[in-house]
Amino acid sequence: MDIPAKAGTGVEAPKPRAHRGRRLAPYLFIAAAAVYLLLLTGAPLLDGVWLSFTDTQLLNPTGGVYTGTGNYSSLFSDSAFVHSLLITVIYSAATVIGALVVGTTAAVAINGAFRGRALARAILTFPWAVPTVAAALIFAWIYNKDSGVLNHALSGAGLGGRGWLVDPTWSLFAVTLASVWKVFPFVMLVVLAALQSVPDELYEAARVDGADALNRFRTVALPFLMPTLRVTALLMTIWSFRRFEVIWLLTQGGPVDSTNALVINVYREAFVNSDLGRSAAMGVVGLVLSTIVTVIFFYVDRGAARKEAL
Amino acid sequence: MPRISFNGIAKSYGDTQVIKTFSADVPDNEFLVLLGPSGCGKSTMLRMIAGLTDITEGQLEFDGAAVNGTGPNERDIAFVFQSYALYPHLSVRANIAFPLLMSRFKPYHHLPLVNALMRRRMLRDPEIDAQVRRVADMMELTDYLDRRPRTLSGGQRQRVAVGRALVREPSVYLLDEPLSNLDAMLRTQMRAEISALHQRVRKSFVYVTHDQVEAMTMGTRIIVLNEGVVQQYGTPKEIYDRPANTFVARFIGSPPMNLMDCELDGRSVRFPDGTVLELPEGGAAPDGPARGITLGVRAEKVSVEAADTAKAGALPARVVVSEYLGAETVVAFQLGTRMDESGTVGGRDLLHARIPGEVRLAAGDACAVRLDLTDASFFGSDGGGRLPVAAAKGVA
Repeated sequence: MDIPAKAGTGVEAPKPRAHRGRRLAPYLFIAAAAVYLLLLTGAPLLDGVWLSFTDTQLLNPTGGVYTGTGNYSSLFSDSAFVHSLLITVIYSAATVIGALVVGTTAAVAINGAFRGRALARAILTFPWAVPTVAAALIFAWIYNKDSGVLNHALSGAGLGGRGWLVDPTWSLFAVTLASVWKVFPFVMLVVLAALQSVPDELYEAARVDGADALNRFRTVALPFLMPTLRVTALLMTIWSFRRFEVIWLLTQGGPVDSTNALVINVYREAFVNSDLGRSAAMGVVGLVLSTIVTVIFFYVDRGAARKEAL
Repeated sequence: MPRISFNGIAKSYGDTQVIKTFSADVPDNEFLVLLGPSGCGKSTMLRMIAGLTDITEGQLEFDGAAVNGTGPNERDIAFVFQSYALYPHLSVRANIAFPLLMSRFKPYHHLPLVNALMRRRMLRDPEIDAQVRRVADMMELTDYLDRRPRTLSGGQRQRVAVGRALVREPSVYLLDEPLSNLDAMLRTQMRAEISALHQRVRKSFVYVTHDQVEAMTMGTRIIVLNEGVVQQYGTPKEIYDRPANTFVARFIGSPPMNLMDCELDGRSVRFPDGTVLELPEGGAAPDGPARGITLGVRAEKVSVEAADTAKAGALPARVVVSEYLGAETVVAFQLGTRMDESGTVGGRDLLHARIPGEVRLAAGDACAVRLDLTDASFFGSDGGGRLPVAAAKGVA
């Protein structure tokens, strides 16, 4: 039914032009951010993908020639590269699981009311605030085979020292431990925030029902934390794929490639071996890996959300 | 089952005492109601019985054995929370079965994977299943066993909460305002169901409420609390008929007890306007102080008639409002012949009469009020404590 537009009533049929303006407005509002993202993220990304199909060298950045999938076939036939992919996956999984477990435990520990809680929270947040370079250097001293405090303590306990950063058996473990120390406060702070949403009465009900502390955490707190933990795990995984400083400063990927994660490989290929094309191909593999992880996480998250909606 | 004894129990947070020292002895299988206005400390007291809040002073005993140091799971209690506190991520079945699962839990079940497996297996255990079904039948929840609490109505959630308490067959049931989130109809229904449950399981119940109707209808014993001080402990009848002080007198009963300033001269009650009423034969009178005391009369002991039909022994008054409730009429009035100039109708000066049937009086009408002083209460001037009554004697 048409309502006739009357002059002076203030109710007039919207003019087509005003209509179009209203429809376009949202796009105009996000245009600036979209252009910014395209220029600073999209363009370099496309450039990187293009580079990976060329034989570009560092000393002659514009002289690359299209070589098709040559870089990729050479990468996947190189056992050292496959090994570095494996190192990346092991390092990331161990760091993420370690940080989630340590961070969640720390959050639960400092969630309750006790004397000195503010101080405990400050101390536990400290690793996140320390610059990565400083943290890595501190760990290099701690791990030092001859003068490090770790070996000193172990010898004191009669367990004998180890070449933490020079022995291929221990180097990946040492690097992972340092990484967990550096990043767990992030998990702790996020989980601490999520814990505030758990009603106290549920803990009390579980206490009355005879649940011990672990069961109270499992039955009451954990379900509330799961959505947060899933997102945190995703972020931590992607950050672990990309983490460079800690590994580079501690081991530079050695000894004998035992900590040679993908990003270390990318850096060395580009700036030591000067092969930009091959380095870019490695970067693209890393990008695909991150994308796969993201997709998996979103599927898991959607499945869990659907289950919770039942 | 147990006799619950409060021996000089008190609770403080820092320097603030929230529950003043009190003692009481509650026999087996009673339905004890902790009654008081918001913030009076009744929930704190319930939580002390549960072991969820520490007791600062005194000793709490179940059957003569102190339980101060024991945790909530060692006291053989069940607690129904005001918010129901159902585990939102578990089905109704798992919610009800949870206390049973926990009682069978072994330390090695904490291992990852083992935990999930054992929980699933225990839920299917025929014995646990039978117990859950029995409770679900009793609470009419059988059709909802596989639903999550979020998808249930308030009344159903409430029943799940009670079911979770029932399934472990504890000796004490603690309920913290369980009906306050329900609408009026459902509240009346659940009130009857909880009373019936108490009859059936024959265990001790401790029930917290601010609603005096719930307290009177469900309780076999009532503790009235105000500002952390126990005002009175007794059966509903004792508390209604012989309130310990003016607070209890006004808190219990709807409409509240009528309180009037008066003086007592032998067996004559003198009101500020000069009217004198004689205490009837057999009516009890205090021997205490006679000046500046308060007379308390229940609304059903007051009758109101039109002013022109009044005879001697009636107090002149004016109707403020007359509420017709069907079976009875509640007439609110003020003593004296003049309408209050300020027009205020609330407060202590407003008195009530509860009269069967319909009363042909409208707001503003002059009326005559007759008081039946046979069971009247008298309260002292300082603090409003009940005055001890001498044995009833004949008129002097």
